[in-house]
Amino acid sequence: MPELSDIANQFIREEIEEFIELPEEIERNITLFSRASPLMQDIAAALIDGDMTTVDRLTRQALDQGVGALEIMDDGLIAGMGIVGIKFREGYVFVPEVLISARAMKAGMAHIEPILAASGVEPIGTVIMGTVQGDLHDIGKNLCIMLLRGGGFTVIDLGVNTKPDEFIAAVRENDAHIIGMSALLTTTMPNMARTVEAFKDAGLREGVRFMVGGAPVTPEFGRDVGADGYGKDALACVELAKKLAVEVC
Amino acid sequence: MTPRRRFLSALYGGRVDKVPAMTLSSVITLEAMETTDAWFPEAHLDAEKMARLAATAYEELGLDTIMPVFHSQLEADALDAATWWGTVDNWPATSDHVLTDPEDFKIPSDYLKRPSFEAVLGAIRLLRKRYPDVGIVGKVYGPWSVGYHLVGIENYLMDTILDPDKIRRYLEVMLPACMMSAHAQLEAGADAIMWADHANRELVSPETYRDFLLEMHKQVTVEMGGPSIFHCCGETTDRIDYFAEAGWDCFHFESQVDPHVAKQITGDRMSLMGNINNPTTLFSGTYDDTYQACMKVLEAGVNGIAPEGSVPLGTKMEVLRALTDSARDYSDAHRPDGRLVAHREPPDDSTR
Repeated sequence: MPELSDIANQFIREEIEEFIELPEEIERNITLFSRASPLMQDIAAALIDGDMTTVDRLTRQALDQGVGALEIMDDGLIAGMGIVGIKFREGYVFVPEVLISARAMKAGMAHIEPILAASGVEPIGTVIMGTVQGDLHDIGKNLCIMLLRGGGFTVIDLGVNTKPDEFIAAVRENDAHIIGMSALLTTTMPNMARTVEAFKDAGLREGVRFMVGGAPVTPEFGRDVGADGYGKDALACVELAKKLAVEVC
Repeated sequence: MTPRRRFLSALYGGRVDKVPAMTLSSVITLEAMETTDAWFPEAHLDAEKMARLAATAYEELGLDTIMPVFHSQLEADALDAATWWGTVDNWPATSDHVLTDPEDFKIPSDYLKRPSFEAVLGAIRLLRKRYPDVGIVGKVYGPWSVGYHLVGIENYLMDTILDPDKIRRYLEVMLPACMMSAHAQLEAGADAIMWADHANRELVSPETYRDFLLEMHKQVTVEMGGPSIFHCCGETTDRIDYFAEAGWDCFHFESQVDPHVAKQITGDRMSLMGNINNPTTLFSGTYDDTYQACMKVLEAGVNGIAPEGSVPLGTKMEVLRALTDSARDYSDAHRPDGRLVAHREPPDDSTR
């Protein structure tokens, strides 16, 4: 059983000690980081710290040293973002910190994604993501997309103000089975229900699974509009997508 | 009491004959548009249509206030943000962000003459004339929220950490535009201003509010020149104390906040209004659901009930009428010796 002291990077050790409280999450992170190379730990630490320049440099360095793209993504970028997600969930950090870490992750992923795409690694599934009609907010959706891609999904981003017909067209065009809808406004949340209804009218509802999220959205509201799952945050979104993928992908 | 006196007295935490039921954000629905033949998006830029539509809050729903600023684009549009005015069943929004440097920010010389202001100020004047006894509420987006519109929310939020001085400068240069909006609406006849700055928990920490906005809001509440209602979306329990410290007369709060806890935090320092859930209660629920929800909030000792924010356009007017009915029935039941005893001490936490 690995110990906290098995992790070389002091910053990572301190992050685990200070911010992670659930025993299973402590154990998972100690296991993950203790088997990760010091360079992967450094990438994760820089990402948690929001240091885009260092993440960019260390990712290139790792690739130059022959480290696999998947290893960098899993043990460096996603592992680091996992701690950011826990800190966000527990209220230790807020959206600005998450955005800065996400920007750092993006800098690393810019080197990783082309390699993964060329290597022919099969995605878990394809997710269609969009902020619903009438709503132009996309921070939460963009964070979900970044983590979904990091989590092994192909994501089609329909952007903001997405009409039901556009979700339907994207599902048909990409043979996708999972749809993620985001809304920040209580005034636009009803458009989630309209989108689900449009899929019923088009005879496509049975073959797809809907995820919903956004600040004012609740699990109850998700059930009311006929969604298959609700994600409280970007990490929960990835877990939910993996669960739904087992059913339909 | 007239609705106007009732609203203003409650706003200051004073005596009322019944607890007011209000709109502090929009209660416009598709039904209201049909009733008045004043439709989105035209009503956003037409004073007469805006006034007619806004008046349904009093005429059709029996609320104690009318609030004609349905959207959140008033200041941003007049400050040259790219505005999409929406459709009949979709709200306006900022479609592009125009500012990257606070030193480039300028208040246009015709700022208060821009179409968005002409409509709102015209509507307030019409409403004041037509409804001298009903509370008229104006709405201002403060510099923090205008910053989201003009700069873009992602860049704005990241700079709270990467370049906090830049954010302070944005706030400093934008504040006069927001104050001009407040003063103009009060001058046009608004009884009070609802000021929204969305430093909510879903986005930033309470310390962010304290460090960037608290002092500025103290200045706003002193210089506004009229009753002030603060609005901040979402779960705000961890920062309500700062809102009270800023000197707001009232906090318009959302349903994620337990009204009992809010009352315990604020005491008599600041009134509390709002708290009725939009998506689950008003939009998806029935009249009875809403009536019961209102009763629970009233029992917590709030100073007035209102939807927590702008209601979805598909909300039924019949459901919204539960706001007025519940406030009336609650007040009738709490008048044992002819005087309303609504604003008692909040119940002890352990008894709930």
